[in-house]
Amino acid sequence: MIDNNYFLIITFLLCVGTLLIRGSFIAFSEKMNLSPRVRELFTYIPAAIFPALFVPATFFHQGIVEAISGKERFLVLIASSILCYFVRKTIVVIGFGMLLLYFVTAQ
Amino acid sequence: MLYKVKMKFFKMGFISVIPIVSGIIPFGAVVGSAFSETGLKFWQAMLMDWALYAGAAQLASANLMKMNAAIFVIVITGLIINSRFLLYSAAMAPYLKSASPLTKFLCAFCLTDQSYATMNANQHKFHSDKDATDFYLGTAVCMQMVWHTSVLMGYIFGNFAPARISLDFAIALSFAALLIPTLKSKNHKFVALFSSVLSLLLYELPLRTGLMVTALISIALAWFIINRRRNHDRQ
Repeated sequence: MIDNNYFLIITFLLCVGTLLIRGSFIAFSEKMNLSPRVRELFTYIPAAIFPALFVPATFFHQGIVEAISGKERFLVLIASSILCYFVRKTIVVIGFGMLLLYFVTAQ
Repeated sequence: MLYKVKMKFFKMGFISVIPIVSGIIPFGAVVGSAFSETGLKFWQAMLMDWALYAGAAQLASANLMKMNAAIFVIVITGLIINSRFLLYSAAMAPYLKSASPLTKFLCAFCLTDQSYATMNANQHKFHSDKDATDFYLGTAVCMQMVWHTSVLMGYIFGNFAPARISLDFAIALSFAALLIPTLKSKNHKFVALFSSVLSLLLYELPLRTGLMVTALISIALAWFIINRRRNHDRQ
């Protein structure tokens, strides 16, 4: 069992800290006068962060298909990304990727 | 003052995030079962889940608590993992300029990778900042419902998601599907490619700092590209 005081201090500090991070810019949004350059910079946030969220987790995942050195998830991700470039429907891409991975690993 | 939600955009947001949430079910189950294995009591698990609402930080904290790590180590680790929300907060701020403090609080509290990504991918559909806020709140409600249910189920039943289906892979697929439509110019594509390669090179950095370091260097690259192009246009 985890000690109550130990748990409560950690949870309190984490919650307050995370809320401060999440709310930092939002809280002062009405005072923010953004230049066109900064506004344009915000359009790059998905390109800067999202690949770092999913590319390493997929690339370094230890797969089971020996013929492709266990890199089936990474290859399926590339195939799904190519499909997404043309289709641009989230549900189609997820469905395609999940099915493809299922069939690739079923061998 | 009560905030009046435009149901059209709220529903649109709620529905848009449904394909994405399939990926967070197994993650929620893992977090819930980790809470249980750590020895957290039911009320402790639910309190941390509802008050913190940040999966990766919850998982890391549970593992460190199990090892009886020092309080500051756990808190710093969790905050470093959550530091990416700073960039989302900056990107969300222009939409919330005229929102009430309560709406701002709700939007900040519910800020997640998935909610921000879904809103960002659909921004061409909004006519005003309020439409964007309503849409975002719709995604947030759907995310909250699925996430907390998954954690609860994981706590009670353990990791219930069948490994054979690889449901966790849906997270990677959903981020790819949300990212690609936002890569509208060659420069955006270049920054995404740069971030992908750099994140692989920095993967071994401790405390998952590779994520934030990659994000900051990629943002710096984007800033450099923007300035160079604008200066070039001026000449």
